[in-house]
Amino acid sequence: MAAPLPDTLLAPGVAVPAPAGAAARRRRRALAPDILIPAAILALIAGGCFLWPLVYPVPAPVGGSILSAGLPPFSPGHILGTDPVGNDILSRILYGGRVSIEVGLAVTLIGLVIGGVMGSVAAYSGGIVDTVLMRVLDVLIAFPALVLAVAIAEGLGPSELHVIWALSFFSVPAFARIARAGTLRLHGQTFMLAARLSGTKAWRILLRHVTPNVLPQLITFGLLGMGVIIILEGALSFLGLGIPDPAPSWGNMIALGQGTLSAQPVLVLIPSLFLLATVLSLNLLGDALRKRWGVR
Amino acid sequence: MAAEAGPAPAGPPAQGVPGDHSPGTAQWGSAGRAVLTSPALRVTGKRLLSAVPVLWGVTFLTFVVMNVLPGDTAQELLGANATPAELQTLRLKLHLNEPFWVRYWHWLSGAAQGHLGDSLVSGQPVTSILGQRLPVTFELMIYTFCLSVLIAVPVAAAAAYRPGGLVDRLSMMLSMAGLSIAPYVLALLLVLIFAVNLRVLPAIGFVPLSQSVVGNIKSLTLPALSIGLPLACFYIRLLRADIVEQMQSEDYVVTARAKGVAPWQVLIRHALRNSMFGFLTVLGLNLGTLIGALVIIEPIFSLPGIGQVLLQSISDRDVVVVEAVVLVFALIVVLANLLTDLLYAVLDPRIRYGRPSA
Repeated sequence: MAAPLPDTLLAPGVAVPAPAGAAARRRRRALAPDILIPAAILALIAGGCFLWPLVYPVPAPVGGSILSAGLPPFSPGHILGTDPVGNDILSRILYGGRVSIEVGLAVTLIGLVIGGVMGSVAAYSGGIVDTVLMRVLDVLIAFPALVLAVAIAEGLGPSELHVIWALSFFSVPAFARIARAGTLRLHGQTFMLAARLSGTKAWRILLRHVTPNVLPQLITFGLLGMGVIIILEGALSFLGLGIPDPAPSWGNMIALGQGTLSAQPVLVLIPSLFLLATVLSLNLLGDALRKRWGVR
Repeated sequence: MAAEAGPAPAGPPAQGVPGDHSPGTAQWGSAGRAVLTSPALRVTGKRLLSAVPVLWGVTFLTFVVMNVLPGDTAQELLGANATPAELQTLRLKLHLNEPFWVRYWHWLSGAAQGHLGDSLVSGQPVTSILGQRLPVTFELMIYTFCLSVLIAVPVAAAAAYRPGGLVDRLSMMLSMAGLSIAPYVLALLLVLIFAVNLRVLPAIGFVPLSQSVVGNIKSLTLPALSIGLPLACFYIRLLRADIVEQMQSEDYVVTARAKGVAPWQVLIRHALRNSMFGFLTVLGLNLGTLIGALVIIEPIFSLPGIGQVLLQSISDRDVVVVEAVVLVFALIVVLANLLTDLLYAVLDPRIRYGRPSA
């Protein structure tokens, strides 16, 4: 990181006075608000989606009565109102959020593990393995991944599991690229050389020396990527290829609300707000961790 | 991925010594050497060659995916009530009964000679379908691209002028929010505001350029904004970070300031100019994201572009059309990256004059 240059010009090589360092140390000791706040919001949303329906009974997200259809927000018994078929919106938000979070987590983890291993193994072994793996990734990256996602969802039928498979085609190559770049950067380092010279096995070097160095970068990328995945899950649902209709997901709630956009914008706005809050928190958290760990 | 962390690793030209424009020393080759023999062109040639296996891989992967999908065009065309005999006749007619390799070879050898074939569903030549739909998509792409860059560059420069200042913090906050909003949500919000409430822009439909220029721009504004705004937010953050880094750490900034050049002039003429290199790479890489977003946004605004064709042809199992569209998309990505490389050569004297790559 470059030393900040104040308005007066510093001669090159002059050390920057302490305040910045002291502030950074203080921040590191306490849990900084830029990490705490988005993490708390995420915990609140995830806790709400997974725990609230267990603790506090909410109406079922499907099979609502047509008699209570189209209630506005703050109606008795339905805090966020009901949709045109009479389902409780709050309940649909909570159950739909489960889908978004599950898909986001699963796809990110698949990308992190498979992509991370692919990338670091390719970079570590070099030669033909690296070339072949990188060519495969080139194809996957040049391939419009949405086409693949649409094809998988279309062919296998829409379901949560298939959405996860489809979206993993986005995450695996992305993680692999980053893991590869991170591993390549370690190549000339002394500790790598020392490990190799002392006869450490390749898998052990990868596990004990490469992983801890590459992981911070992968995790911050994973947080940012998870936001994208949650948005993409919504996009697939939006195209009718995600979570099939009666079951809720934030994406298909937005898509269903599109039809009554001018009459009942709430139906679009409520799930959109939750989607935005989740993705924004993920981005803020990823950004804050990136700053703290000093990864780019 | 839209939110790719940090600035993407810029090509070799962005590294090295930014701001060091001296073409001097003999080992860099004489400054007068023609662009034709410059490494830039050699790199371009190599890139073009390496694009061939990538493009081939993309078409092959598409064929495999379409082949693995359950159901085929005959089934989709005739519906669930078709008799086996009817299905068999149609399959024979469309050559669907031939083995996978034969069909792929047939398509590949045709495509290599420029014959992309006829749609299995409508029998229309694919080239004429592309001819009808591509202009709409291209127009939207260019509009989106220009919009996002035109928003991003001035905002980033203004934010970087005083890091930590009001403009900086405000634009960083807003851009983070903009980055987190899904394009389809933004599309619906924009429709709600500009089409439903204010009634100034159309919510759906497309007016061709030949019919009315103003109408054309109006009909594309909301779709372009829905994709362009989040993209611009991404660019703002990237460019701002890079400019700030340049302003704080580069010797040429110190020199310029010592010479008495005004700070904003240093920013615009030196730092921004140097930051543009990394920015260009990201722009090239990001075209892939843009294409993905188009496929979702086009149906929302019922624009008769290539995205709709793609979705329809996947659901019809129309391999020929899908292949053509995917090939066009992949070509755009490859060509955009190539163009980025060439632009580097034009903009950066170090490459223009043939400095050997490290």
